[in-house]
Amino acid sequence: MAQHKINYTQNGGLPVALTSIDKIVNWGRSNSIWALTYGLACCGIEMMASGASRYDFDRFGTIFRASPRQADVMIVAGTLTKKHAEFIKRLYDQMAEPKWVISMGSCANTGGMFNTYATVQGVDRIIPVDLYLPGCAPRPETLQYGVMLLQKKIRANKASRAQTDKRLM
Amino acid sequence: MQIKNRLTPFFENITFDREDNEMILNFGPQHPSAHGQLRLMLHLQQEMIVKAHPDIGYLHRGMEKMAENMIYNEFMPTTDRMDYIASSSNNYGFALAVEKLIGLEVPRRAKVIRMMLLEINRLMSHIFWLATTALDIGAMTVFLFAFREREYLMDIIEGYCGARLTHAAIRIGGVPLDIQDSFIAQLKSFLDKLPANIKDYEDLLDTNRIWLMRMEEVGAISKEMALSWGCTGPMLRASGVAWDIRKEEPYELYDEVEFKVPYSDKGDNFARYKVFMQEMRESAKILYQTIDMYKECVKNNQTELMAHAPKYVSAPKIDIMTQNYSLMQHFVLVTQGMRPPVGEVYVATESPKGELGFYINSQGGPYPYRLKVRAPSFWHAGVLTDLLPGHYIPDVVSIIGTTNIVFGEVDR
Amino acid sequence: MRAYKPKDNVQAKAYYTDRFYVSPQVPKSHVESDEVFARDLEAIKAKFDVLDAYIQVGQMVVFINPSDNYKVLELLRDELEYTQLSEMSAIDWLADRGGFEIFYQMLSMNKRKRLRIKMFINKGEAVNSVEKLFRSADWSEREMFDMFGIEANGHPFMKRILMPYDWQGHPLLKTYPLQGDEFAAWYEVDKIYGKEARDIIGPELRDSAKVDRYDSERFARLGHEVPKGTKITGNEPKVVQNYQEEGGVFMVKKFDKKDSVVIDDPQR
Repeated sequence: MAQHKINYTQNGGLPVALTSIDKIVNWGRSNSIWALTYGLACCGIEMMASGASRYDFDRFGTIFRASPRQADVMIVAGTLTKKHAEFIKRLYDQMAEPKWVISMGSCANTGGMFNTYATVQGVDRIIPVDLYLPGCAPRPETLQYGVMLLQKKIRANKASRAQTDKRLM
Repeated sequence: MQIKNRLTPFFENITFDREDNEMILNFGPQHPSAHGQLRLMLHLQQEMIVKAHPDIGYLHRGMEKMAENMIYNEFMPTTDRMDYIASSSNNYGFALAVEKLIGLEVPRRAKVIRMMLLEINRLMSHIFWLATTALDIGAMTVFLFAFREREYLMDIIEGYCGARLTHAAIRIGGVPLDIQDSFIAQLKSFLDKLPANIKDYEDLLDTNRIWLMRMEEVGAISKEMALSWGCTGPMLRASGVAWDIRKEEPYELYDEVEFKVPYSDKGDNFARYKVFMQEMRESAKILYQTIDMYKECVKNNQTELMAHAPKYVSAPKIDIMTQNYSLMQHFVLVTQGMRPPVGEVYVATESPKGELGFYINSQGGPYPYRLKVRAPSFWHAGVLTDLLPGHYIPDVVSIIGTTNIVFGEVDR
Repeated sequence: MRAYKPKDNVQAKAYYTDRFYVSPQVPKSHVESDEVFARDLEAIKAKFDVLDAYIQVGQMVVFINPSDNYKVLELLRDELEYTQLSEMSAIDWLADRGGFEIFYQMLSMNKRKRLRIKMFINKGEAVNSVEKLFRSADWSEREMFDMFGIEANGHPFMKRILMPYDWQGHPLLKTYPLQGDEFAAWYEVDKIYGKEARDIIGPELRDSAKVDRYDSERFARLGHEVPKGTKITGNEPKVVQNYQEEGGVFMVKKFDKKDSVVIDDPQR
């Protein structure tokens, strides 16, 4: 027989917190955004810098994964060329739902300064994009802010329902 | 839900059950240790590579075509995106080529600042090389340590030109700005700590059994092969040719500074690693000397930063704002661009990766008629064709790492 | 009247050139002025036709017949110590002279000299591959084929190197526009989604200066963002973008500026 009474619903009782499924699922999703290393050009170096010692991306629960099967977000960092375009589509299709895309830097957003025959004028012609980061190349702080905005976006969604289709076409 | 597309499975045209027991492995174009977008088709007998076929061009952005459609000054920021680990060395290679074409002499103070920028870039590039190669081989600690030091260098560069990665810090005819007040103090405090830092890396790696197993006697390039493939820079020096353009065909003030050219006759991964580490020490030595040279310039009151050549280079800002003729000249140079004389020039500089050459053919117009970039990494990627056969799959990663290729430069 | 645009060279043109402007020349000097180059030139002249030779910006330029290129480079490598082929490529002169100029940039490390062999071929002609002499020509010749369509006889693998294998056109020709032709514009859409997707995805936006403030599909006004596709009236309220919701986030500590430390010296 219990000698003392535990108020489960209050702090300091047992480690118990009450919340909705939506919140707990989104909490999990938004704080463990594993990113697919998609360093294509200069922005890829800044992406590495944000993962390295000074900027330390691990604080956000963002760990770079080399496999699309383990990744939640694809950070397209750099110029996407026409020769490479089909591969980004292949890798995007291989990622498990729910998945998000951050387009990092001017080249990925719009083709940037490379207004030439060989450059795709924005990755959103190939895959749907959630977040566009400006800059050439964006600083690691920009990428961190972008990931925080993505977390906010994830929290705003309903977790119980299947993700609505993001349709490019 | 996937959107329908027409992409077919990738290996539909490759037969797996071949009779000769050979397997074909596709590596890249998006592989974390490919240092960018290298695609390798590897023919394997068991674990042994018998034929390698590197496929490049996944970062081809048409820079040479852009150069034909841009005035000379406009092309300068584009060169940043070639070897984006060490942007200023690209800026410098292009600026020097144009200066040779029009026959400009750069003031001494600008030369000193340029040398500082070049050597800082070399340090940045080598530290970055160490970080990524160590990460590929599995030494995460070195990656974190090396990136810490690289950030300090980036702070210094950022204070000078405002950008971390894409500097555009050098102009045709000089440099746009004098170095900021804290530059020398910051640089000195960095350089004072650098030997201890390099020792840290070497303590972690030099006697590390895994590192030695994956570096020693792996990826050996003979002298003949290196020369035939057009290898330059650390790749060539590790193969036994002590050829450094800074020493042999000195540009800027490299004939006034003292430094050694480290080389090795082994030609394997470990030799290249040692050459890179030694070059960092030499760069630090050069930087100490440039600091003294800069102080001398200040003492002698040499304040000019841009060459005086009204036909090609804009006047200083103060003149543009106060004198009518300078303003007109500036207007013409910005809207129409400079018109270099008719002729052609090939100028090679020692970038951190190797010989970075610019071939410019000018027909007297404001746009180059043809501009060809001789990027060292292009041939360092090509050498993989002959280098990889005979090695095992895990060696591929360490060999790609030590060749130090950057794909912005390979594909341009 | 529409301005005349030449079809054989679609690259950017100077919009104004003084009628009386005569462009200066980069000075050329005689080969005799440099001992080393003079001896090298003698050695080449002894066996091959030399059309022209001079020194420009410290490097000797030698014009030879295109059929001699393999032999000349062999001579340079084996007897004159030019051990490295730094670079080779072509220059498009189709509009003016009906052909290509090809240059080989050679380096002698023992003599510390650089030399450029040049030759002219007509349109449609092929060059002899020097891949057997210098392995570096393997990739350079492929690049030359890719960019100009000049084939090299005797090359083991004459395929495109920078552009995809199914690409059409040779990008560095003067007749090829910078922003690509019709094929280039739709390449990725055709390949991934098929031609029928062209209407849905739409043409590329190539005008880098274009900003349309009433187009909420592609542009957003900073601080006045609206959902995608909303009609813009011009009276959008100011939206403050925060990375966290107002009420705080479940199980995540809110950032407080007072608790943070600012580091002045990053290298401490």
